[in-house]
Amino acid sequence: MSEQVTPGLRDFLLSFADDEHFIGQQHTEWIGVAPFLEEDLALASIGQDELGHAAMLYELVLDLDRGPDSDSEATDIEIDRLAYRRTDGEYRSCAFTEYPTTDWAEALVRHWIYDTFEAMRWDLVASSSYQPLANAAVRAGREETFHLRHADALIDTLSTNAEAISRLRTAVDVFLPMVGGLAGVTENEDDLVAAGVISAKSSSLHEPLRAAIAERFGIDHTDLGPTDSKPESELRRDSGRSEHFAPMISRMREVFDLDPTAIW
Amino acid sequence: MAIYEVFLKKDGRDEYRHAGALDAANDELALVMARESYIRRAEGDRLWLVNREHVLVADPDFIAPNADKPHRHHDGAAVAARRKAAREATE
Repeated sequence: MSEQVTPGLRDFLLSFADDEHFIGQQHTEWIGVAPFLEEDLALASIGQDELGHAAMLYELVLDLDRGPDSDSEATDIEIDRLAYRRTDGEYRSCAFTEYPTTDWAEALVRHWIYDTFEAMRWDLVASSSYQPLANAAVRAGREETFHLRHADALIDTLSTNAEAISRLRTAVDVFLPMVGGLAGVTENEDDLVAAGVISAKSSSLHEPLRAAIAERFGIDHTDLGPTDSKPESELRRDSGRSEHFAPMISRMREVFDLDPTAIW
Repeated sequence: MAIYEVFLKKDGRDEYRHAGALDAANDELALVMARESYIRRAEGDRLWLVNREHVLVADPDFIAPNADKPHRHHDGAAVAARRKAAREATE
């Protein structure tokens, strides 16, 4: 790993990890209030998988920070600090994963869109020249197949009911404007592509993701709205957090903040 | 919705055992939900789901009479003795 590539890689890993962390948080917030018991367990369990991916990616960030000469491993406390205690500007998440919802159709649609995107994103790094990242892709891949099967099974079943179809479609319209940000690029992705760390830029996933959404929800591609109403500079992960970030992170820090000096 | 009975088995060990049941709208959802509800902690390597409608259920009255027949609960001693005698006769 050359010195120039490291900052870009760190940013890319952080954006991936933050998305996994926050989508895991969103899924687990359905514990106890999902529409039926089996789904309550399933969505929480999938959320835990995503939190596991986040921990794995945060660990890669800490390994980078520690440098190649260190042979010590990241501690849980260091991972927690990175995951929960950065300043707002140091996060690389996006509106799509920060958006709060208590609407089940929205939660399900986001689950499907996110896991579709996540599978594409792991593909970007499946043959990464940065071996730890390629290894992580293998570990996450099997779980992603199941996550999508779970979301598809629910959507297939709901798509036989007119009211459900209409609610799903409304939810899709909520998230469509946010998928550009989901595929937003991080700092110096061009260098990462050149170094073979990622096979293409994050923004290359935007169009395939929209096409997949159109196909899944039976929407004519021309009804999806303009391809990209924003210039690429606005689809960057360092361009600040959405309005939903602050309340979400404060909810997530609630227990930490009870006693900031506690050892977990 | 249908009720599915869940059976689990560990590879190389024991037989399938009844683990519980779940509600699902169709077979695919039943499989997906059973995975998270019953084997997310690797409780089994094999999973059977049986739609409860496909289970043949015997009427308790139909099976009850067998409980009062002590001669059906023998320890096998008489049969063992007869087999031993037959074996010795052919040697």
